[in-house]
This record gives sequence, C-alpha cells and structure tokens, in this order.
Amino acid sequence: MAYSEKVIDHYENPRNVGSLDKNDPQVATGMVGAPACGDVMKLQLKISADGIIEDAKFKTYGCGSAIASSSLVTEWVKGKSIDEAGKIKNTAIAEELALPPVKIHCSILAEDAIKAAIEDYRSKHKG
Amino acid sequence: MNYFQLFGLDIQFNIDLAKLSTLYQTLQKKVHPDRFAHGSSQEQMLAVKKSTLINDAYQTLKTPLKRAQYLLELRGVNMPNEQTSFGDVGFLMHQMELREMLDEVKHADNVDAAVFDVSQVFETEFQQLFNQLQTQLADNTAESNSLACDNLRKLKFYQKLHVELDKLEELLLDD
Repeated sequence: MAYSEKVIDHYENPRNVGSLDKNDPQVATGMVGAPACGDVMKLQLKISADGIIEDAKFKTYGCGSAIASSSLVTEWVKGKSIDEAGKIKNTAIAEELALPPVKIHCSILAEDAIKAAIEDYRSKHKG
Repeated sequence: MNYFQLFGLDIQFNIDLAKLSTLYQTLQKKVHPDRFAHGSSQEQMLAVKKSTLINDAYQTLKTPLKRAQYLLELRGVNMPNEQTSFGDVGFLMHQMELREMLDEVKHADNVDAAVFDVSQVFETEFQQLFNQLQTQLADNTAESNSLACDNLRKLKFYQKLHVELDKLEELLLDD
C-alpha cells in the first residue's frame, strides 16, 4: 500500500521521539494499544501549572501510519492548553496525513493517546 | 448451523485438531466442484458455496485465537470492536519493554542466543495467558467469558511480537 508523502516524512523524520521523566509531576503519560494490529503507543506531555502543554514526546511500535499519527500529534499539542488538545479529533489527523480507510484506526489510537495522557494528568492533579 | 456443528464437533474450545483435519477433508471431498462437473449450474454454484463455507469454518477452528474469538461470539459475549484502543496501562508498559527487548537483540554480542532468550520470554508469557484463556473458556460463566475476552485481546499483542521476531530472524539471516 502506498503511504502519503506526509506519512513518509513523519515516518522517516519522526518529531519528538523519546521519553520525558515520568517522575516529574508535570509529566503525564498516555499509553494505548490496538489489539487488531498489536501497535503500542506512548505519548508523554509536559504540562505547565496553568495547563499549557510545554513539551511532548512519543514512542510508538507500529506501522508507518501509527508512527506518523503520533509524531503529528506531538507537533499539534505543543503550546495548546489541555482542553484544546483534548478536542483534537482523529478525523483531523487522518485528513492531514491522508490516511486510507484501513489505517484510520492509527489516527484513533493517537487521539486516544492524547485523551489517556490528559486523564493521567487530571488524576495526578485532583483538587 | 455453526462451524462446530458443521463438523459435528462439541461446541467447546478444546478440539482434536487431527480429527478436525480429517473431517475437513471428508467434507471437502463431498462438495468438490469436480463432482458436480456434469450437474446443473445451480448445483455447481451450491457446491462452490458449501466448499467456501467449509473452508472458512476450518480456518477459523484450526487457529486457536480465531477459534476462541468465534466461540465468544457464539456465546453472545459483547466484544469490544477490533479498532477500540486497549487501555490496560500496566500491560501496555510491559509490551513496550518487550518491544525494546526485541530491539536490543540486533545489538547483542551473541545474536542467536539473544533471539533464543527473547523467544523464550514471549513463549512463556503467551502460554501463561493462553492457559488462563483455556480455563476461562471452559468455565463459561459471564465473568469468565469477559475475562477471556480481555485475555484474547492481550494474546493478540503477543501474536504481533511473534511476527516481529520472525521478521527480525529473516533479516538476520540475510546479513
């Protein structure tokens, strides 16, 4: 199957690969997986006291589309508030990367990773 | 008629694979299109349809994870969509570690030994989950079926690890 140019670009030059210090109270981690294809995605966000995402890193084991989707969202979420980031929809990711229908689940995984990270942050900062 | 009934098997997870294979061949012979070469076009069409059904049934039942999934579907267990993300953080963290372990194999001093070690770890953990799945499916309660569902999803990650390990081994052979 042919990947779009944007997917290939993110796949060959992934942005923000790596890890943030998981013991840093400002760092939230979102872990998600897709049983259908066995992909595993980790998205970490560094969030300021006023709820702005200052940094984002990812590590994904999966196909080119899964890597591209997670790479793209790390670029998109930086500088956004967690509320704004939580509104990122998989359809926007799929559209930006021109994902074919069989790869839509990769964009869903990336959206779910953002949500999981935000949930992790909120559970750490209750009250 | 479900796939188990098609072969005259009890509707349960543990099946005799040798028996299944024999039954499959017997059934396929009965509906082989060659037998209907002189039949009407309707008879021929029906034979092809039956042959396809028998083949689908065989492929589903002979593969343990597919058989488990099919059995859970028959029991009316509400399974999450294949595309639904899996959010068991502890499990996924461990999967990440296993993937990293697999990545390290390439850089090991003794690659063959490293491949062996990693395949042992995958196999042991797969088997552990698989044994649990077997027990849960045999129990066949609402709770055990739901646990089986969860285990089946986990086992799919191990299936993927196996594929990745096979790929790596092929790559290493080429070098």
